[in-house]
Amino acid sequence: MNYALFLGCKIPSRLPAYAASTRAVLQHLGVTLVDLDFNCCGYPARDLSRDAFVLAAARNLALAESAGLNLLTPCACCFGTLRHAITFLNEDAALRSRISEALAAEGLAWSGASQVEHVLALLARVIGVDALTSAVRAPRTGLRVAAQYGCHTLRPSKVARFDNALAPTIFEELIRLTGATPVDWPRKLDCCGDPLHEANAALSEHITRAKVADALASGAEVMCTACPHCHLRFDGVQSDTADPSIRTLLYTQLLGLALGLSAKSLGL
Amino acid sequence: MSHALFQTALDASLLLCALGLLWRVSGWYRMRIGPDVQAATLWQRLQVLLRGLAAALFSRRLFDLLGTLFFDVLLQRRLYRSDKSRWLAHWLMAAGFMLLLLMHALAALVTVKLFPGYESTRNPYLFLRNLFGAMVLVGLAMFLFRLRRQRTRFAPVRPPMAAAFIALLGFILLTGFLLEADKMASPQAFYRMAKEFNGSADPAALKPLRALWASEFGVAFDDLKEPITAELLQQGRAMHEADCETCHARAASAFVSYPVSRLLAPLARSLDEVKAHIWLLYLHVFACFLGLATLAFTRFLHAVAAPISLLAHGAAPPQAYSSAGRATRRALALDACVACGICDAQCAVAPLARYLDNRYLLPSHKLVATGAGEMSLRVAEGAFLCTDCGRCSSACPVGLDLQDLWQASRGDLAGAGLPAPAQWVKTRSALDWAEALQSDAAPQRFCDPDARDAPLSADRSSFSRCVQCQTCSNVCPVVAHSTDPAFAVDLTPQKVMNLLRLGLRDLTLGSSMVWSCASCYQCQEHCPEGLRVADIMLELRALAVQRLGTVRRGKELS
Repeated sequence: MNYALFLGCKIPSRLPAYAASTRAVLQHLGVTLVDLDFNCCGYPARDLSRDAFVLAAARNLALAESAGLNLLTPCACCFGTLRHAITFLNEDAALRSRISEALAAEGLAWSGASQVEHVLALLARVIGVDALTSAVRAPRTGLRVAAQYGCHTLRPSKVARFDNALAPTIFEELIRLTGATPVDWPRKLDCCGDPLHEANAALSEHITRAKVADALASGAEVMCTACPHCHLRFDGVQSDTADPSIRTLLYTQLLGLALGLSAKSLGL
Repeated sequence: MSHALFQTALDASLLLCALGLLWRVSGWYRMRIGPDVQAATLWQRLQVLLRGLAAALFSRRLFDLLGTLFFDVLLQRRLYRSDKSRWLAHWLMAAGFMLLLLMHALAALVTVKLFPGYESTRNPYLFLRNLFGAMVLVGLAMFLFRLRRQRTRFAPVRPPMAAAFIALLGFILLTGFLLEADKMASPQAFYRMAKEFNGSADPAALKPLRALWASEFGVAFDDLKEPITAELLQQGRAMHEADCETCHARAASAFVSYPVSRLLAPLARSLDEVKAHIWLLYLHVFACFLGLATLAFTRFLHAVAAPISLLAHGAAPPQAYSSAGRATRRALALDACVACGICDAQCAVAPLARYLDNRYLLPSHKLVATGAGEMSLRVAEGAFLCTDCGRCSSACPVGLDLQDLWQASRGDLAGAGLPAPAQWVKTRSALDWAEALQSDAAPQRFCDPDARDAPLSADRSSFSRCVQCQTCSNVCPVVAHSTDPAFAVDLTPQKVMNLLRLGLRDLTLGSSMVWSCASCYQCQEHCPEGLRVADIMLELRALAVQRLGTVRRGKELS
């Protein structure tokens, strides 16, 4: 099983533990990850120019295509952006021809051959819950975990095609197989606040704190994330308290621990 | 060469070099980039330096710094990791040049002291001088080849005087080799030396020696009539061993100059007549003095600034610096940058620079604009599109903390009225913007922004089915949190859709709802009519940047 690993901009600089734990877990499970010379997924350019955003995404897709690989990303926002770009390219012929022309200038082409997958979907659907369950060596029995899906893995479901956007179950299944207990929390599907940070930092923080408080009130000990943006935002609002009321853990770290991998290899 | 002239020229060059460096270094302590360092005083900045030096010299960190000095400065490890062929070219040039400087240019101060038997025409010095010179020339040739390939609008910034620097360095090397080759081929030089060490300059008496030096040392006598026999060479060798050998290695050891001297051989007499060796010596030495005198203002400066930057990087991680320390590091970065363009090649948004026709997305151009204090909409676009991925900093061969510099420049841009779009849109109400749009006739950046950047909001079918059920507003987290007056929004998503239905799109562009959209896609997921509400919100922003941006530019111009 080979994938081109698309880490995006946030993970290597701000959350290297996500890269380390993704690599460690997937290597353990027999997935080969290839590093290509990717650029930004395109998300930051979306406010500026639709063409620029699609071009950035399409260039990544074209790079994966020329390597004959599907793209795998641990970032929900990169996942959503790349999937959106594919949708826009498919529905807009004029956009497609402008982007193809720009890509051709560096000898690249987009045909839609490479698929985009999020790490959670790869684990749950391609590797499979059964295979993962039987690989668990150190179950995290009793740990109460709040699953933070991240908006862009779920919505819009027509673009993301990840899980039932109104009542998703993938993350809970993945948590359950590690021996931990997923908790129900009312704000589970809410935004983490991150995309608002540039435009309105106070509102962004307000939204983040509301989520953290909700997870805590619902009895969770850990907020489990699958996107660097959510993860860093939750850590950010708690960094001012000496004793964080609730821990954040990347899903790849939780799974890695359950598989018996060393904490160090998971960036813990 | 007249000793007095040499000394005067050298002293003048050293003085100019020192004054230039003083000016440059004082610049590192004068310049302030970024709002966070405006309050840092000179004294605070000097204290950071002194404390840093003390901490480095009297702790175990000294060993880290020695490691930095060896691996990063001498071996240029960071460059090796980022670009191997460039490392080879640069290392050949830098190592060759520094070794020539120490062994050859500063022979009287260094080589003679270390190796008392030093003679420039003896081995290994004769061979090594050619080897070091050849290293520089090969490195230079590799650089020129690379420069030729990079001639595009989005090539890395070419530092001022880069061509002059390369030309001067090449000139110094070329005159050096020509001087050595000219002396080898010169009969005049042969007679001058023979008179000094053999006591005779008579061609007849020197016949055997002439034969040997013509056949083995490349002297180009044009009056050598007699056949060179083995016996004559034998006699010549005896004279050579008696008078010359102590100072002269075989000419072929000069593997660059000797072949050149063979090429010059037909011209040897003419060159002697015009006293070529004196001209070449003057050109060679004065070119070196010119390089020395202008060091602080050419690319040679990086040989001083880059090692300091690497040591500062090795001394403490960027985040450990106080604001006074950051002020100095930012200013130093401008001089330490060698404009190699490795950051541009790594930049995550670089592929967009060409498409948006904005070179200020590229780190090397941003750095120059930051240094020049350039404040324009184009610079701001580049500054705020940066994703802070950190790839430029981690690849930088001179260890610049570019993230810190970008953050500082964003702060300065915002202070100069050029913040991110989400911020400048807030400066007016949606209604104000809409009115300004109506009276504005400024040309638009793209011929048809609607079709390109806002195809959904330009197409009635993507919103005309809206039944105003308010589901979008009910599931919107931004609307939910706006019960707090601090986070109130002017419109709800449902009202934005209604304005589109009424053909009042301009009224939505500056709306705080559009600009506070969290792009969580709850509205789009829940819309009973399947309308792409969030997609519309996001494309309205792109449209706003284009259209409100032109209004803004028009206002600034008027």
